[in-house]
Amino acid sequence: MIRVNPQLKKEIERYGDFNANQCFSCGTCTALCPMGLKILPREIFRFSLLGSEEKLKEAEDAIYSCLLCRMCEANCPQGVKISENIRILRTYFTERFFKI
Amino acid sequence: MSEQKIGVFICHCGGNISDYVDVEGIRESVEGLPGVRVAKTNMFSCSDAAQEEMISIIKKERLDGIVIASCSPKLHQNTFRAMAKRAGLNPYKYTQVNIREQCSWAHTHNREEATRKAARLVRAGIQKTLHARALEPIVTKTHPAVLVIGAGIAGMKAAISLSRMGINVHLVEREKEVGGLIKKRESLFPTGQDGRETVKALYEEIRASHNIALYLGAKVIEKRGSVGDFSVDIRVSNGETVNLSVGAIIVATGAIAYRPKEGAWGYGRPGIVTLKELLDIISSQREFRHLRVNGKEVETITYIYCVGSRDKEHTYCSRYCCTAAIHTSNLIHEKWPGISQFHLFRDIRTYGSYEEEYKRALSRGSIFIRFSPKAMPEIEFEGERPVVKVSDLLTSKEEIEIESDLVCLVTGLEPSPNRELTDILKIPVGKEGFYNEIHPKLRPVETVVDGIFIGGCAQGPKTSQESTISAMAAAAKAGAMILTGSVKIEPFVAEVLSERCDGCGLCEDICPYGAISIREESGKKIAVINEALCKGEGACVPICPKEALQIRGYEHETMRSMIDALIEGYEDVSD
Repeated sequence: MIRVNPQLKKEIERYGDFNANQCFSCGTCTALCPMGLKILPREIFRFSLLGSEEKLKEAEDAIYSCLLCRMCEANCPQGVKISENIRILRTYFTERFFKI
Repeated sequence: MSEQKIGVFICHCGGNISDYVDVEGIRESVEGLPGVRVAKTNMFSCSDAAQEEMISIIKKERLDGIVIASCSPKLHQNTFRAMAKRAGLNPYKYTQVNIREQCSWAHTHNREEATRKAARLVRAGIQKTLHARALEPIVTKTHPAVLVIGAGIAGMKAAISLSRMGINVHLVEREKEVGGLIKKRESLFPTGQDGRETVKALYEEIRASHNIALYLGAKVIEKRGSVGDFSVDIRVSNGETVNLSVGAIIVATGAIAYRPKEGAWGYGRPGIVTLKELLDIISSQREFRHLRVNGKEVETITYIYCVGSRDKEHTYCSRYCCTAAIHTSNLIHEKWPGISQFHLFRDIRTYGSYEEEYKRALSRGSIFIRFSPKAMPEIEFEGERPVVKVSDLLTSKEEIEIESDLVCLVTGLEPSPNRELTDILKIPVGKEGFYNEIHPKLRPVETVVDGIFIGGCAQGPKTSQESTISAMAAAAKAGAMILTGSVKIEPFVAEVLSERCDGCGLCEDICPYGAISIREESGKKIAVINEALCKGEGACVPICPKEALQIRGYEHETMRSMIDALIEGYEDVSD
């Protein structure tokens, strides 16, 4: 169960130009991901938008497994800057959970 | 009938027919039948060469009628009627027998049976032509005025279009103001044009047009007559009855916004509104820094789509609501960017260029959550605060809860409550309660009643853009008809055999078009047909206990002789 928290998205947006909301959930990115991690990257963005920090935390490995190869980004029909968004999420993680 | 001379032409249709039907065999079998002077086959009857040859045969042999056994009458009936006319025949002394769609194409596996069926249909066709009477289309003069019912955007546009053609228009609106569904709306998609200003501009043009009479607070109470010559009574606002003579009627009675039942979706409780109510709230607070509901600043709005659409009660899609809701959310994003907006949808139908609105909402931060009709969102309350629960199809059915300050039920359109008008006009209503066109693609604004057209949301939910288009199409059809000065109607109408009729009135009751009335003529009660109203639909024929009614072109004698020809040689099965 996810209790929607609009604040999380606003929080993440402070770290850069996070444009995951352009995503219309077509799944092209997930199909193309060479890491084959099912959660990459569509669902991660969705958890960010819905504001589930808990779900995001569960996806930590996936977020750091991303090769930033941009296969998904080059093929995204909505122009979501996927690799940039992943970087923003990593920055957020680093500050929020690892306190670096 | 024995002195009649007719010609029978059987078509190969290249091989479309002759590959599966023994065309030459049929020709031989009908040659020499009583009345058949000529029997020939053609490779392509519709070709110019074949038509010229048939014309010369008709003239040389002085034929009284012809039968062409070929394709469906839908394809070439008009072609061959015109040919018969060129040959000097009455077009109604021509019968088309369909041995392609109904024989060769339907029975490719069995040549013998296909041939047998075709031969019998041809024999029946011969009887039809032998019994055919020379008929003329019924011509009615058109009265140079049009009645437009409903003064929403569709009715007003139709009235103005007709007025500009120089046709007098009577525009009747049951409410006290014009404008219908958009009269209070501010921003209309796709351009953001102000609905109130649009209505005002149309209203001013109507007021300035010398040939449009506008009746507000008025309603239609009676309609008599038929295409070209309707006589309509309306009751105007001061209670008086006004009689109008018009050649055509355009029905643009619109639709109404669906209102959920009290209690359903939490409707009626604070914070739960319909799309229309949300727009009213925005209008009243557009000057303020914050949007407030019940004194509390709104931070989260949740939209639930398809409320009153695509469910058991309303099986249709209301077309405009997805775009209208997204357009509304864009207005909110612009005016109050701090508000988070969640859209719970089944399918987003922002078709065509309306897709731009959807993209804009996505880029401004609207979040779309897809639900299944099997698991509709639920609204619970924590204190007075609504919490919407939904299973999100886009994150493998994750259960999501959205605390919301405002829940907007994106409601569709319902047909206007028009039962009385429908009964008066006798135009058909579809299973959803909207008025039906004859054909959705080929005759989209005409009804089965000649001279009555439909436009706008009376026909089904439409965007304001689509309403205008259909209203102008209706105006063009009505205008063309009026300006021609007269209308031609197929002569296949009912006729009364007065010596048999005893005026019992069963036919008057069953006629769905109100075309039959019982009158007193030289001391005898008798049924009288209004030919302009009659559709030749035939309900009156079997109900008559005296066989006193028949459809012209399908007379009792014609039909009996055709049936005899079809079953000739079979054992009597009447026992």
